[in-house]
Amino acid sequence: MEAAIRVMDISKTFNLSRKQQKIEQTKSKIKVAVDGLSFDAYPNEIYGLLGPNGAGKTTTLRCISTLIKPDKGDIMVQGKSVMRDSDGVRQAIGFLTSDMKLEEFFTPNYLFDYFSKLHGVIDSVASKRKQALFQKFGIDRFQEVKVGELSSGMRQKTQLVISLVHDPDVIIFDEPTNGLDVLTAKVVTDYLIELKNAGKTIIVSTHIFSLVEKICDRVGIILNGKLKATGCLEELIEKGDTLEEYFFRLAREEAGDNQ
Amino acid sequence: MKNIWTIFKKEWDRVIHDRRLVISVMLLPGLMIFLIYSFMGGAIESFTTEDAVNVAILNNTTGFEAIYEVAENPEIIQIQPITDTETASYRELVDQEEWHLVIEFSPDFDLYSGGVNKPSVTLYYNPNDPDSSSIFARFQGYLITYQNSLAYELYGDTRYFILETTFTPVDPNQMMGLIFSSLLPMLTIMFLFSGAMSIGPESIAGEKERGTIATLLVTPVKRSHIAIGKVLSLSVLSLMSSLSSFIGIIVSLPKMLAYENLDVSIYGVGDYLMLLLVLFSTVFVIVGIISILSAYAKNLKEAGTLITLIYLVVIIVSITSFFSQGAQNNSLLYLIPIYNSVQTMTAILSFDPAVVTYLLITFASNLLYTIIFIFILNQMFESERIMFAK
Repeated sequence: MEAAIRVMDISKTFNLSRKQQKIEQTKSKIKVAVDGLSFDAYPNEIYGLLGPNGAGKTTTLRCISTLIKPDKGDIMVQGKSVMRDSDGVRQAIGFLTSDMKLEEFFTPNYLFDYFSKLHGVIDSVASKRKQALFQKFGIDRFQEVKVGELSSGMRQKTQLVISLVHDPDVIIFDEPTNGLDVLTAKVVTDYLIELKNAGKTIIVSTHIFSLVEKICDRVGIILNGKLKATGCLEELIEKGDTLEEYFFRLAREEAGDNQ
Repeated sequence: MKNIWTIFKKEWDRVIHDRRLVISVMLLPGLMIFLIYSFMGGAIESFTTEDAVNVAILNNTTGFEAIYEVAENPEIIQIQPITDTETASYRELVDQEEWHLVIEFSPDFDLYSGGVNKPSVTLYYNPNDPDSSSIFARFQGYLITYQNSLAYELYGDTRYFILETTFTPVDPNQMMGLIFSSLLPMLTIMFLFSGAMSIGPESIAGEKERGTIATLLVTPVKRSHIAIGKVLSLSVLSLMSSLSSFIGIIVSLPKMLAYENLDVSIYGVGDYLMLLLVLFSTVFVIVGIISILSAYAKNLKEAGTLITLIYLVVIIVSITSFFSQGAQNNSLLYLIPIYNSVQTMTAILSFDPAVVTYLLITFASNLLYTIIFIFILNQMFESERIMFAK
């Protein structure tokens, strides 16, 4: 099967201000966020990017979603390059991250229509999709309430729904269950599995082991911007081991290498 | 095109459906201007009445002197007795707005005893000079009182003297045009900028600060469409805001200048259309500048600071209309943004014969600046360093 997402040896660096240099306790003016990362993700699959905060997960996802460009390497999304055809890539993806907010002045109803139009979704299709998604996530009762007046959980659900207005084939969710209560988190994870079964390609980033174990078919472990391991959970974990134990063993090895 | 409309509509709804923003952007500017300038007008009026009063009188009489001395403040009135040979030079001073009034009593005024040849009194003032006009009106009143007092000594024809009035020749349209052209361009540009200033930063810097721009940038909409949609919407809203200011100015101007005869009907439809063209092209330039600064700023506060600095420059440029008599005739100056709009408005309002040339240069150069600004904005939307600067 052909990969829907091919991340090919990407690297991304950021310039550090003096203040950031102090915080990072480094004299280097450059921070390497992602360092030669490669992995593939396929349709009918949830690929998990597992790593601690600052490992480079969000940077990788932002590169895939074309919000930022890698300094080196390329990413192909359904055959389209993020470097050469970013508009085409954006048509194929749905991206959700906590950095992306909705304007608090507007209602979920207004914003769904607004983003549907920007994605070129026909009105009748958008209307049906809105009804189904709002009902599934319990937004229908709050669809005329301004986003600023919604609870944080409802706001997050609205953000999720709006990232899917165009029914994308590739879905990229950065820490999708962060800040959600257990009930809402379950609705979201169940929906991700439903989307996977519908043939979508899904990448989620997380630092929660149980989430990976529960929903991911394959996982990539990122430490210090490098992909330390990738594959099916069964392949990676030795008998009797847990994902958590495996992860910390890698983290210790990485710390040893860096010392 | 569809996306431009979608972006436009969302930006429009953001303002139009926010009652507080509509009041502060559309209604308050006009109302505030009306109140401030009406107040200023009152202050100016009371200030001008305390100014020195210069009256030159030929063959003055003790009877007349007794009348005006009762009514006028002796500390500010300066009566200059003049001779026959000096009248022409004092009339010239009145023409040049350096003297207020000349009153000429005919010789042997006091000796009249009711014959056919009545003596006369001639007043000379300058209608272009509001001070001269107001002093003329007062002294004309004193002379009528004087005429009535003298009538008691006569039988039959009760008019002791003939009252004549002459004045500096004036083209009333030209005079009003000069008044409008010194004030309106300055005020219009200032309010146009402040209108755009109250909406612009919110639309780009505000979206950056709140993280909503990323949600927009992840859609397949072209960056140039986002830029055009935002600039277009902000321009229309700013134009509406400035029209509110414009109406406020027009309504309050006669009051402000304590000159009730000031009439905007001296301008024809063509003049108003030309003004609208200038306003339209200028608003795009202003919104372009504000949008670029907003996109560059990391947050609303920074955007506010940067835009305030540009606002100060705009105020200084706008003020040039207040001190200049008519528009500049060097065509190259009409390539300078903002300044060209101020000068073209001055040219329209003062009936400058070369106005069409100035308008065309201003409109074309403003259009070019707008295209350049949209291009820069598009590049800024493409730049991750600018869009995601923390």
